[in-house]
Amino acid sequence: MVSIQAAAAVPAAGVTSLLPPAVFLLPIVAGFVILAGGRRHHGFCKTVALLTALAVAGMAGWMAWLVVGGTVPSLPGRGLVLSAWRDELRVDALSALVMLVIGVVGLFATLYSAKYLEHQPLLDRVGVGRAERRIAIFYALLVWFLGTMSWAAVTNNIVMLYVAVEATTLTSGLLVAFFWDRRALEAGYKYLMLLTVGITFALFGCVVIYAAGAATGRLTGGEALLISRVREVAGLIPQRSALVGVSLLIVGFGMKAGLAPFHPWLPDAHAEAPTPVSVLLSGVMINVALYALARTVSIFFPVLPQLTVFLVALGAFSMLLGAVMALVQDDLKRLLAYSSVSQMGYVLAGIALGTYLGAFGGLFHLLNHALIKALLFMAAGAVIYATGIRRVSGLGGLASRMPVTSACFIVGALAIAGFPPFNGFMSKLTVYLALADTGLWWAVGVAVFTSLVTLVAFIRPAIRVFWAAPAPGQPALAATREVPAALWAPMVVLAAVCLLLGVAPGLAYGLLDRAAVLIATVGG
Amino acid sequence: MNTASLPVELIRTLSMTLVITSVLAVETRRLRLSAAAYAAQALLIVALLASFARVNPSLYWWAATALVTKAILIPWFLFRYIDRTQPVEVPPFVGFGPSVVVAALLMIGFFRLTHMHVELLAPAGLAREEVFRTNLAVAATVFVLGLYALLTRRDAIKTVIGLCLLENGVHLSLVSLAPDLSETALFGVASEVVVTVFLLLYVIRGVYREFGTTDTLRLKELQW
Repeated sequence: MVSIQAAAAVPAAGVTSLLPPAVFLLPIVAGFVILAGGRRHHGFCKTVALLTALAVAGMAGWMAWLVVGGTVPSLPGRGLVLSAWRDELRVDALSALVMLVIGVVGLFATLYSAKYLEHQPLLDRVGVGRAERRIAIFYALLVWFLGTMSWAAVTNNIVMLYVAVEATTLTSGLLVAFFWDRRALEAGYKYLMLLTVGITFALFGCVVIYAAGAATGRLTGGEALLISRVREVAGLIPQRSALVGVSLLIVGFGMKAGLAPFHPWLPDAHAEAPTPVSVLLSGVMINVALYALARTVSIFFPVLPQLTVFLVALGAFSMLLGAVMALVQDDLKRLLAYSSVSQMGYVLAGIALGTYLGAFGGLFHLLNHALIKALLFMAAGAVIYATGIRRVSGLGGLASRMPVTSACFIVGALAIAGFPPFNGFMSKLTVYLALADTGLWWAVGVAVFTSLVTLVAFIRPAIRVFWAAPAPGQPALAATREVPAALWAPMVVLAAVCLLLGVAPGLAYGLLDRAAVLIATVGG
Repeated sequence: MNTASLPVELIRTLSMTLVITSVLAVETRRLRLSAAAYAAQALLIVALLASFARVNPSLYWWAATALVTKAILIPWFLFRYIDRTQPVEVPPFVGFGPSVVVAALLMIGFFRLTHMHVELLAPAGLAREEVFRTNLAVAATVFVLGLYALLTRRDAIKTVIGLCLLENGVHLSLVSLAPDLSETALFGVASEVVVTVFLLLYVIRGVYREFGTTDTLRLKELQW
């Protein structure tokens, strides 16, 4: 309470900047440029998309640097806050962290799609005539997807947060159904329908919280829309209204984040989408949804102390269910998709504690999961690109034929299982410590056990795919070659970053520290 | 805000008719009729918003947005795609009788809730006044009826209509809960529903071509 009131006394320490609007308006404009100019010129589409992704990554990096490096005298140690449009857009360390994930993974995914979309078997699957037209649409939707996710990360308006998160569903819906065959259409229908229903709950939640914020009498109608202002009056909102709003937000954003039991859309969509889109869905989109959840729900941790145990339990359930489901998959991409459900559980469990250590661990894992899962989806995509086979049982002996891909996959598998010296180990360890620190030993048990299950779930298929003798009746495997450099280069860079953040996690501390302070509303 | 000048009786009548159109939209087997019931509901929402606008002029803007998006564009998409797929719904899990009972129970339940415990949902001053409570009760009923349709209907187009009801419920609640919402936010919320419905129908059209049906139970390519 004291800290909330103290914060309310200090005026918003923001610096006006053009970066927050630019980072989401640029991709939206670029999408229209691609549609207008690129129907017959694929090179043009590719170039515009790549330049846009590069610009988003650059701006994200710039904002992160400003947020970490800048200081404001009135708020020592909290870094700079970039704002625009009368605080409608606001980039603090938490937004900057998510923007950095969007920028970096978005850039790699766009690089990857440049080569991926030239692959003939893939174009055959879509039907060449349709593919010709669709490539421009693919790139336009891809940059719009990046733009809407960036918008969700920088907006400070609680209703616009809903609009932006729903817009990410709309821009990615047709990307999920890109192949337009039975599997893709089924995945696309489920994706659009379930996520829209879910997010409607979030809208209801946003509106309830807005109404409650306005009813405190401390804020005008316009101010109560701004999340940063509602945060200041959270202590005055009646507990029961807060509970209704928060429950709706957990269902809505939790569904979008792929948390069990709201996850059924996730394995279908992530597995059936083209690989670069899977990379964005699993590496970025669900993180943006979890960010939206953390941004809104963390406000109420001090008012609703019972939330912590509930959310940690939800996280633990998600961890375990995702890992166990991953264990029984034969499809390489579905295995990765279920593992995302599991890893989101770790992020939620950390953030839900509301303590500094928990928030730090959760956000660190959010960053790491984005990098690792992008790496793993690219590696799995490379295997499918080279062999045309998705089933683990149909593959074998690829280590000698695809050395780079297999090395990258193993790095990703060890990192996601929390094996030292990779980045996943550092963030999972922080989450364990934070859970133990709060006395939730059962959750520590579940988290450690889940890591072991994850290790088995990944190492077993990895051995099958890369080292075991090829499955009988698959003579094509003998002729398999390593994928082109344009596909393996992003993987190598990501694998190197995973190792680097494991060995020198201090590199990310500056940003994580400031972001963790923002959602650590409980305790010191 | 002086709420005394509100046409209370008109608002009540419109609200009750709104619930009836929801039940019709959920229950009619012929999809064109169902879409027509939805269009009628959209017009009622426009009328309701315009009645409330007497005390809150910004709602006129909103009534106009609702007219374009809910009463014109969405029904147009629905009719267009119903003509291109099948005219009669795939039989649902739960029939007509139980649905009417469910709707009646919901209505009574929400009226009691909003009239006795409105602070639970809305601590706002406005929501404590009479017509706004009725509005909240109707909004909640339409929302849950939409959810009911989504859970019990197998037909893909019918699930889209259910989704539209769900959205209508939330949008109606905004009248009581968020009267000061800015035009940009309103525009965002309203236009997004249109895009969602269009994309869903577009994908369902693809599903119909590939699977030969809009029965969601037949979507079984992806299990576990």
